[in-house]
Amino acid sequence: MATRIWPVMKLATKVTIAGGAVYVAYDSGLLGNSEQGSEALQKAKAVIPPAMEEWMKYFGVEAQLPTIPKIEFSPVDAWNSGVRWTISNLSEAPTKATEYTSQGLQYLKDLTK
Amino acid sequence: MSEKELGKKWDRCLADGAIKLGTGLGLGIVFSVLFFKRHTWPISLGSGAGLGMAYANCQNNLRSHYMLHRGDKEQ
Repeated sequence: MATRIWPVMKLATKVTIAGGAVYVAYDSGLLGNSEQGSEALQKAKAVIPPAMEEWMKYFGVEAQLPTIPKIEFSPVDAWNSGVRWTISNLSEAPTKATEYTSQGLQYLKDLTK
Repeated sequence: MSEKELGKKWDRCLADGAIKLGTGLGLGIVFSVLFFKRHTWPISLGSGAGLGMAYANCQNNLRSHYMLHRGDKEQ
């Protein structure tokens, strides 16, 4: 009898695990609109440090995780300054090109003198 | 829409996209391992569905500013 029930049990376990995963994802608002999603993200961020501390104590590892260094790099500012640099160079390019060509021609003329 | 509002909406869009991609990936992996003998297609299906949901949410959010809503009864 056990040999007949075992595949059914396996299937039932799998369905329970998969169904549980889907239910957890649905319940924590991961599949809702963007407000719910960012709420869930904030909750997760708030929960991580205490959870990490508990796990460290549980394993008896008292080493302090190196705190994530506060990087003073802002992608938005970097991108904006990059755009400004590109556009200003593009707008100055024709003037600079004529300058350089005239300088080059002058230099060549001086060579042939 | 003021620029600040627009910026916030885009931020939420990207965060939402990342979350739904992760969720789809996770659920895809679960289903692939449990039911589909570790094939790749459930994983791709899950991540794609997640991205699609994020795209639809984003679209709705950005359009909602220009739509009339049911509760806007003007006298």
